[in-house]
Amino acid sequence: MARARGFALRAALLETGMLLTGVVFAFPLYLLLTLALKPQSSWASDPLGLPTQLFFGNVTAAWTQAHLASAMLTSALVVVASTVILVVLGALAAYWIARRVGRLSYGVYLFFIAGMILPFQLALIPLYSTMRELGLLGSPASLILFYPGLKLPLTIFLYAGFIRSLSRSYEEAASMDGANQWQVFWHVVLPMMRPITGTVVILNGVFIWNDFLTPLLYLSGSRWATLPVVIYTFVGQESGDMGLVFGGLLVAMTPVLIAFFVLQRHMIKGFAGGLKG
Amino acid sequence: MTPESASLGGRPAQSRAPRRRRAVRRVAWWFLAPALAIYVLVIVYPMLAGIWYAFTDWNGLDPDYRFVGLANFRRLAGDPQAVSSLKMTFVFAIAIALLQNLFGLALALALNERLRLRDPLRLLFFMPVVLTPLIISFLWKYIFSTQGPLNTVLAMAGLGAWQLSWLGDPMPAVASIVIATLWQSVGLAMVIYLAGLQSIPAELTEAARLDGAGPWQVLRFVTLPMLAPAMTVTIVNSLITSLKLFDQIYVLTGGGPGYATETMSTLIYKTAFTFAETGYGSAISVVFTFAVAAVVLAALHVLRRREFEHG
Amino acid sequence: MSGVTIQGVRKRFGAVEVLHGIDVQVDEGAFAVLVGPSGCGKSTLLRMVAGLEEIDDGEIRVGGRVVNDVEAKDRDIAMVFQNYALYPHMTVAENMSFALRLAGAPKAEVRNCVLEAARILGLEPLLERHPRQLSGGQRQRVAMGRAIVRKPKVFLFDEPLSNLDAKMRVQMRAEIKALHQRLRTTTLYVTHDQVEAMTMADIVVVMHAGRVEQIGAPLALYDEPANLFVAQFIGSPAMNVLRGTWTADGGSSRLVTPEGIVLPVDGGGPPVEAGTPLAVGFRPEHLELHDTGLDAEVVVVEPTGSETQVLMRCRGTELVAVFRERFKSRPGETVRVRPATDHLHYFETSQGRRLAAAG
Repeated sequence: MARARGFALRAALLETGMLLTGVVFAFPLYLLLTLALKPQSSWASDPLGLPTQLFFGNVTAAWTQAHLASAMLTSALVVVASTVILVVLGALAAYWIARRVGRLSYGVYLFFIAGMILPFQLALIPLYSTMRELGLLGSPASLILFYPGLKLPLTIFLYAGFIRSLSRSYEEAASMDGANQWQVFWHVVLPMMRPITGTVVILNGVFIWNDFLTPLLYLSGSRWATLPVVIYTFVGQESGDMGLVFGGLLVAMTPVLIAFFVLQRHMIKGFAGGLKG
Repeated sequence: MTPESASLGGRPAQSRAPRRRRAVRRVAWWFLAPALAIYVLVIVYPMLAGIWYAFTDWNGLDPDYRFVGLANFRRLAGDPQAVSSLKMTFVFAIAIALLQNLFGLALALALNERLRLRDPLRLLFFMPVVLTPLIISFLWKYIFSTQGPLNTVLAMAGLGAWQLSWLGDPMPAVASIVIATLWQSVGLAMVIYLAGLQSIPAELTEAARLDGAGPWQVLRFVTLPMLAPAMTVTIVNSLITSLKLFDQIYVLTGGGPGYATETMSTLIYKTAFTFAETGYGSAISVVFTFAVAAVVLAALHVLRRREFEHG
Repeated sequence: MSGVTIQGVRKRFGAVEVLHGIDVQVDEGAFAVLVGPSGCGKSTLLRMVAGLEEIDDGEIRVGGRVVNDVEAKDRDIAMVFQNYALYPHMTVAENMSFALRLAGAPKAEVRNCVLEAARILGLEPLLERHPRQLSGGQRQRVAMGRAIVRKPKVFLFDEPLSNLDAKMRVQMRAEIKALHQRLRTTTLYVTHDQVEAMTMADIVVVMHAGRVEQIGAPLALYDEPANLFVAQFIGSPAMNVLRGTWTADGGSSRLVTPEGIVLPVDGGGPPVEAGTPLAVGFRPEHLELHDTGLDAEVVVVEPTGSETQVLMRCRGTELVAVFRERFKSRPGETVRVRPATDHLHYFETSQGRRLAAAG
């Protein structure tokens, strides 16, 4: 009897404890929402309370002043183009690595994996020079070339692991049906990799969308900018007007928030499963 | 009637001369070529070039530069800022990796129980993982500011003495960066551990309980060993990511106060682009690369062995 | 030469040779079953015919054409895999039409071929389903449908029934056989189950450790196995074999085993000298109850309704008998049995080869 009561007490304590933890954890987000939706004049008098009335002035001003629309489009362009390249090239290379018998394929595999571990800093300046020589600086093309290069190791790692676990009989059946290598890959293997392609798209998409340093380097001074870069400049310019700044921060966060709520299960699964080593 | 047996004997086997191997087990080279080309162009070649520049005095712009041997590395060894950056890189990486896993595991264990709030809480803790670090860093910058919400809340809670210049003093600055980074990474460790926990067959913990094990013992002798693979994954991943930490430091403190929070990432960026000392920056990068490789390989070795021992 | 010809074929995996010179001739339109225990090389041989494995030595001909260097996709051969290998992301119709679509056949023709194959196999209601929505037997049929749609020269089956439950297996066996009788395409069928071999084949190829032990019609293999391996592999329950020395003194000849079993043989008998080691086999159904027989203790009685299997022990050696009539004795009791004299098989003991009976 006492055991059961102790059990229920423990569960209640845990539940309350976790609730409190959650509340504390959510504080920054709460702050972002409330401060962005309150006129800055009211911040001093009521720094932590909920807005009495939803104020959209900060948000709308930030939207136009920071040119957030075009920044989001640029970010979207870079994410989509890079991800498509990553999926196609990564899957192709991973198929080669996973299905080719021999030591060469394993060597190539390790060659790519090294790129996952080693930090990119060493290549930072030389690559910048190369981009300059190729005339790509100041254009999103530089990013669309960069991100696939940077993220191919992870992509290939994910795809190769998956392909290795696929029974070869589907490919053999397709061979017998008259398919050449490309047809086997395109019609049979690639469609069967939908689950891992989801993970690849999510992990790469989130990373590229959120990346800051490289777009800052490659696009500064040009008319192109991705979302993080635009926010960086905006905050630097408007640091006196925190209300405006928060409006910008909130709007800039919205696409990712929406994506998260729509894709939550896939996101969690992608991140949790994708990193298995 | 004799049975038909056509195997041994009969027509002699026609032996074919050794002929070219048909590509049954090979995959066309052009499957690999595009990916390899981009990877070499964007990563491998620049990295090798970077190693080369470490031994020169190139400033990143002029076509002329000289080969200077180990001069950059000697300078590095005598440069207190560079040495401190190397140290801080490890401090941040290890602190974040450890705390992230500790809290992540704790959250996972808590959420693995059948709480009513389990699903919304799981979403809440994971959400910051996908948010843009740059944007969130500005949020934290505001929170940590001396007139900001954190100090305000502390004052309201009667803990006025705990108010600090979170970004202005060296030790609090390090703590602030760690907190800001943890907030966005603990959720990842949590979901990985949750997945690991859910893959532990219930019969194992039940059997342990029947054998008389209390909750702590179940944790220590059954749960944690079975989580060894998940632990390897999260720890190695957090090490790799936090060794390269940039956005949060750049926004929150810019490496300051002084160079108290400077790490190799921020230092390399500054040296190469702000101060146009590409050769020196490359030398720092080389040291950084070795440091990362060493740490990660060491961690992998230790963790994989632990994984192996715990079956 | 039509059909499939396998000549002097060898296969190595690394340094290990797994097929040691295989010669098999399958006539056009015949249903050939490759049967043998796991690891005998039958699947490897089948895959070499398919083009999924390299041929290290020897020649394989399909429809008269040497296919050693021809790629799998160009051999005009269809294969049914053990796990069916149905494309999971395609519907049944798409699975079946894949090869034709790849070849660029016009849509109308593709549809007709698919419908025709579906009609033959009873798959019409399933055409828009996905493989995961089908039962094992249905998937099996779709795999066959995919094969027959292409109207290839040869069908290959790689243990297609091993993933089905017993009842389904019996049903599908009959369906595959009926399909063959209807289409008359040359078929190579691999299985480890000798019952399938016996019931389905026109010719049976018994393989063991990378060699062909015997080729022939099912009943020919049953009545006149070429060696001990075939004798004990074909037929269930397996043939009883007694090993001992052939003794001939006085007017009588007999086999004497080390345990002391004496098996008298009147008339006939193998053409060997007295004192030679010998193996004598007799099938369970040829064991009869007879007063002049050997004493054996009944161990297990298994009545199946139409017949009764009895496991008995005779001086430590286990014998299996199958009786059509109802068996009266019970475990523990002793009976007298002897094998029918005109159904004895003799084998020499060094290589297990069959010895023809004298006279």
